[in-house]
Amino acid sequence: MIQFLLHVLVISSVTSCVTLGYNFVFGKGKILHFGQLVQTMVAAYGLWVPITQYGQPFFVGLCISISLLLIVTLLLSWLSMRLEPDGYGVLSIALHLIIIAIVLNWNSVTRGALGIPKIPRGILPSTTFGYAIVCVAVLAAWVFFLWRVDKGSFSRNLSALSENEWHAQSLGVSRARVHAIAFSIASGGSLISSILFSPYQGLLTPSDFHFPQMIFYVMCVVAGGPGKLWGVLGATTALVFLREGIRFVSISPSYIGPVQLLLFGAILFISVWIRRDTVFPKERKI
Amino acid sequence: MLDVKGLSFSIGNQPILSDVSFSVKEGEVIGLIGPNGSGKTTLFNVLSGFLNQTSGSITYKESDITNLSPYKRAHMGIGRVFQNFGIFREMTLEENVQVALEALPKNQKRELGDLKKVVKETLEIAGLQDSAKKKASSLSGGQMRLLEIARTLKSGNNLFLLDEPTAGVSPKMTNQIADMISTLKKDGKTVLIIEHDLPFIGKICDRVIVLDVGHIVLSDTPQNVKQSKELQEIYFGADPTT
Repeated sequence: MIQFLLHVLVISSVTSCVTLGYNFVFGKGKILHFGQLVQTMVAAYGLWVPITQYGQPFFVGLCISISLLLIVTLLLSWLSMRLEPDGYGVLSIALHLIIIAIVLNWNSVTRGALGIPKIPRGILPSTTFGYAIVCVAVLAAWVFFLWRVDKGSFSRNLSALSENEWHAQSLGVSRARVHAIAFSIASGGSLISSILFSPYQGLLTPSDFHFPQMIFYVMCVVAGGPGKLWGVLGATTALVFLREGIRFVSISPSYIGPVQLLLFGAILFISVWIRRDTVFPKERKI
Repeated sequence: MLDVKGLSFSIGNQPILSDVSFSVKEGEVIGLIGPNGSGKTTLFNVLSGFLNQTSGSITYKESDITNLSPYKRAHMGIGRVFQNFGIFREMTLEENVQVALEALPKNQKRELGDLKKVVKETLEIAGLQDSAKKKASSLSGGQMRLLEIARTLKSGNNLFLLDEPTAGVSPKMTNQIADMISTLKKDGKTVLIIEHDLPFIGKICDRVIVLDVGHIVLSDTPQNVKQSKELQEIYFGADPTT
């Protein structure tokens, strides 16, 4: 039982780092971005491929990961400004499909569907207890940073833009700057999760990046309240607990997958229904 | 101060503004009138940078701003008051003012000094100092308008584009808005104002520009415009005295 709780603590901490970052784009910014896993995939493969496949030190992998992530972040924020919100939403899904297709088929570098085994823990603790403490500490630092950001002028600018782009810009708010910062925060969450999650599993596999995982992120933000830091943190913890806990319910393993999908589908449906007035911008143009 | 030359804007093959040219001197208050669909708000949207002109140029304070983005124009001191209330309803009144002040260029922010104090002063101008922590959605239309004008006023703008500031506002608040515009005039600010209320325009404007089907048909003093045949024709189809 304790091992299970520690495992849930690790997974929920790592997932929260991503959902809290994503909350600034989709929740507070109301940007229809469904490509958060693009950032996570780029961060994870950019980090671990040089280390495990080419024998590079962690620092080199980290630099490559950050560089690639920076390019993706700028590309996503640029696209989010060039396209209408709905168009960008569809395009971000397409980008996700493109990146996962590359990961699955570039066997010589990513090992395709087999994934990359033996991801080293390096200086991270080898016990689940130690790992859970590190993950919670990292999450606490991340939450503190985001809480400060949430209280500042950037957050107000983002809210203003999400409520009415024209009104915000007429006051001097730069949409390009605000979008770039929002996507950078989301990428920061992805980078943290890439550093912590793969060494915990000891494996980097594309099966962790399929689209249902993206829907899970959306669900965490919607259920927690779009733009609400503590709400999203609570929702992510509760939903990860539910997702991991369901594996221990005494039903046939072949039913666990469909039961999970049905349950989470119902939660997402209810969450969107309840928050239908706050999920999407009320007014996009004048 | 503002020089608009040969400005045209079309949607597809449909011209909305055709060869619009006019100049505005510093400290002038100019009324922009015309029937619905004449292109008044579109002209403001082009001047603010939200719509890209098909042709023509805009010069502001001797700088070509034709291709500048809206936020850069705002940084140059072009303030806008929207027809549909440019207030963020989900934010508190305090935050509504904070957003505007924080978006100012660094040097302007420095000049303002303590932003909290300026926020307070702005709310006082609008008579809303007791509701600082309330959500803007709780305000009436008139209060939203007063807050929007006060915010634009305190943001250090020099050119004000006011799109129907008295629309949906009580007569008492219309007077308050007229007072605010008079204060702008006294402070030497330049104002372009779209209005349908001709007595209001007559009271506060130095000059009136009449727009019809995307063309400027008349530019004169409020008295002359009121008596002009062109205005009668535009609004009533023909001169009612003939």
